Amino acid sequence: MTNIRIGRRAALAAGVAALASPAVVRAQADPIKLATLTPLTGAGGPYGPVMAKAAASVVEEVNKAGGVLGRRIVLVSEDDQTNPEAAVRAARKLIDVDKVAAIMGTWASSVTTAVAPLCWESKTFLCTVSGADSITLLPHQGFLIRTQPNSKLQVTRVGEFILSLGAKKAFTMIPQTPFTQSTFDILNQVLPKGGCAHQSLIYDDKKTTYRTEVDQALRTSPDVILANGYTPDTVVLLKDLYRAGFKGKILGFAYSINQKLVDQVGQPEVVEGVYNFAPASAEGSSAFEKAKAASGSANPDPYTCQVYDHINLVLMAIASAKAATGEAIKENIRKATMSGGKVVDNAVDGLKEIAAGGKVDYAGASGPCDFDEKGDILDCKFRYEQIKAGKFTLVKIA
Amino acid sequence: MLSYILFIATIGGIYGLLALSLNLIWGGVGMVNLGLAGFFAVGAYASALLTTVGHGPIAAGWLIALVAGGVAGLVVTLSTTRLREDYLAIVTLGFAETVRLVASNEIWLTRGTDGISGIPGPWKRALGPDFNAVYFLIVVLALLVVFFVMRRIDRSPYGRALRAIREDAQVAQVAGKPVLRFKTEAFVLSAAIAGLAGALYGHFTSYIAPDMFLPLITVYIFLAVASGGTGRPAGALVGAYLVMTLLESSRFFVEWIPGVTAVQRAALKELLIAVALIVVLRLKPSGVLPERVPPAPRPS
Amino acid sequence: MIILQALVNGIVSGTLLAVPAIGFTAMFAVLRFPNFSVSGVATLGAFAGYLAYGVGLQMAGSLVVAFAVAGVAGLAFDKLAHLPLIKQGALPAAIASIATGIILENVVRLGFGNAPRGYDRPIARDVFLGDIRVSPQQLETMGLALLLMLLVFAALAFTRIGKAMRASADNPELAALKGIRPERIATLASFVGMGLVGVGGMLLGLDSSIDPLTGTRILLSLFAAAVLGGLGSVPGAVLGAFLIGMAEELSVLVVGSQYRAAVGFIAILVVLTLRPRGLLGERAY
Repeated sequence: MTNIRIGRRAALAAGVAALASPAVVRAQADPIKLATLTPLTGAGGPYGPVMAKAAASVVEEVNKAGGVLGRRIVLVSEDDQTNPEAAVRAARKLIDVDKVAAIMGTWASSVTTAVAPLCWESKTFLCTVSGADSITLLPHQGFLIRTQPNSKLQVTRVGEFILSLGAKKAFTMIPQTPFTQSTFDILNQVLPKGGCAHQSLIYDDKKTTYRTEVDQALRTSPDVILANGYTPDTVVLLKDLYRAGFKGKILGFAYSINQKLVDQVGQPEVVEGVYNFAPASAEGSSAFEKAKAASGSANPDPYTCQVYDHINLVLMAIASAKAATGEAIKENIRKATMSGGKVVDNAVDGLKEIAAGGKVDYAGASGPCDFDEKGDILDCKFRYEQIKAGKFTLVKIA
Repeated sequence: MLSYILFIATIGGIYGLLALSLNLIWGGVGMVNLGLAGFFAVGAYASALLTTVGHGPIAAGWLIALVAGGVAGLVVTLSTTRLREDYLAIVTLGFAETVRLVASNEIWLTRGTDGISGIPGPWKRALGPDFNAVYFLIVVLALLVVFFVMRRIDRSPYGRALRAIREDAQVAQVAGKPVLRFKTEAFVLSAAIAGLAGALYGHFTSYIAPDMFLPLITVYIFLAVASGGTGRPAGALVGAYLVMTLLESSRFFVEWIPGVTAVQRAALKELLIAVALIVVLRLKPSGVLPERVPPAPRPS
Repeated sequence: MIILQALVNGIVSGTLLAVPAIGFTAMFAVLRFPNFSVSGVATLGAFAGYLAYGVGLQMAGSLVVAFAVAGVAGLAFDKLAHLPLIKQGALPAAIASIATGIILENVVRLGFGNAPRGYDRPIARDVFLGDIRVSPQQLETMGLALLLMLLVFAALAFTRIGKAMRASADNPELAALKGIRPERIATLASFVGMGLVGVGGMLLGLDSSIDPLTGTRILLSLFAAAVLGGLGSVPGAVLGAFLIGMAEELSVLVVGSQYRAAVGFIAILVVLTLRPRGLLGERAY
């Protein structure tokens, strides 16, 4: 560190000027910097842009309401290219040049694993939507939270749901991802216990047709198929399942089976009766509605909901800490959501409450957002929906 | 800011190694390798596995990366050196994709799409925040060693023979040069350097995953060699840093374009880099540092 | 039985793959460099056809639009970026074409974003021919592809310009002596070749979905098909496409589809080791 000597009189003058200038100007002069690092190109491209948009509109709302601690929020958006090599360079720039206090929205597990060491070494807070179980086991010293349920929680619930549909033979079709193996392992445990046989295959998510894969699955005459890919490949898979005349039940994650998928398939019969599920808050939670508005989408996917939660949580943590550093966010993030205080569904209301000296308990769009010490979400509820005549209808929240 | 620049300079150095590797065969023998990312991956995985699963020392990891890259190069060339350059381009592209598929799917060996994390860095714990600076020096050292070896080759009779093959393989053959052997040797050496670059990368960032080794990185290196000047090691090096500067400064540049969404900004950034490659190829085909062909020694 | 079904599936996808493979190999035959921008051009064609279909054009009309847009864009890039470099050799041109592919991908991304889109086309259940399941729509798409191939072959075999193209591909010097203007042949090859690639992108997108990476996904299969048959050979590309299509579907049964992209690579390695000029050699026709 170099010390620069400033004349005593100059320093005093600067201090007086700072005090005398109106709050707005001070807020302009010293904004709080935060960042989203989402996939805008590459395989995650269908998801990242809406995620970045949702976070940006929350920041806009908060700035309109006067910012946090009297300071304006500046949200920098970088592209991780769904590629850890590019993501590491982008994160370095965010940390060292923009000096952001938190990075939000990393999507691919490989990107999160690559970026995480940079974050904990520089004491920058990281919020991720990646699903790989290994992520929260990294030595992140508390500088990481994950809003996506880990596969143990998520897949166990999926298995229970498959059993509740009365399945006797289930089949999983999934591309190669960090949670492919754990999905198989967990389903192979949960399903046989409920009297349901389970088989599976891994497919290439770049193929333009899945006819042979569908033939292979249907040879085992399953009554339930778990379509466990992302939107682009699941569209093709569902069309090919329909063509093959599959009459059983189909279910998948809401990040792939969503309104975009329904629009793209274009023909309601093809997706009629398909189930999806997503982590969710208790029934009647209003945050999901807020996330709809923020993302400008009638049916925001779970990643968008999660980023909506990231930014709200981070802003309220900064307010509780009265400091905008990664360290402060780390110490206070759980206070914004697990304090037993007033239940809020957005940062603007939460910030008012905190400024008034109260406690807040954030109930988010993707769930209650309560975290264990590893940064994983504690048990959460899931929203199960079914497509009827091209629309998603709620089956249950449990 | 300083640590950012140091970081980018280190990654730039690793790109520099890749550029030297490509320059050896493209500039040297006129062969093409669109599978550079694949050899980069082979080295990265070899070293990462040896030092994490095998608990071997890091230096041994670097050595094994050189060997693994070279062996992969040998395997690819054995069936392809007889092919014309356009076939080689497509075969090497397929090789890189196959490497990525193996890394994604052979979970027992590579931990699949999870990737390998916790790759040790040399004296990382003891150095603390100075690690980046020390690692930068290590990369510079590796770069210098490879650079001088390359320049040595470039100026030796061997280098002249390689260039003769590039200009006209038939004439070289008639002149008694073992063209096939020379081509294979150059390709293997080039692949070994790419492997070393991969190892240096893995031990720097402490994590590797299949998604890192997409074809885009090969495109960046081609841009580096083309803009720096094919056929001259110094050109490759200069080109690598030019590309790194372009990649990173375009981040700041596109931030100032008003009225575009985040996706459009990202698209513009990639567009800009692609346009740069074409402009360089069209306007300055010999690069910033054009090739200097030293005259052959006169028979005395 | 499942093997027979996989072979049928492979023939269907091979037919679709054959269209852009013909385009790629025809361009190679005349221009003598592998044009990597086919990935971007296929995407562009798919989106052009999507727009045309969206404003109410029939399937045939949309295919014409896809052909024209892709042909014009491909030709423009050939003239502006690739062909001026060919003097320095095939490699600089090939490398420039990688960059133009990236440009086209990102132009589509600028205009349409990343969200995948689907043609608003009715989806019908499959019908059974004996024990083999076929999709009437895929048969229709396959029919269009076959018709297109027939047109290409007829044009090459019977029209003056087609014969001139073949002559020029087989022996440019001799063709020039006979008064065939090489630039005109090059222009035609660019336009028609890229047009076919664009149509191929649309045909492959019809039954799946399209996004800026559509062309990139089929790139390796396309190359594998063209190389397998012999770069520059139009019948070779057709044969290669069928073989790659079938090999990819059969591989699903053996190693699982996660290794699909490697199948093409292994196939070309084996074939090139035995026959360095591909299965049918390099004669254009």
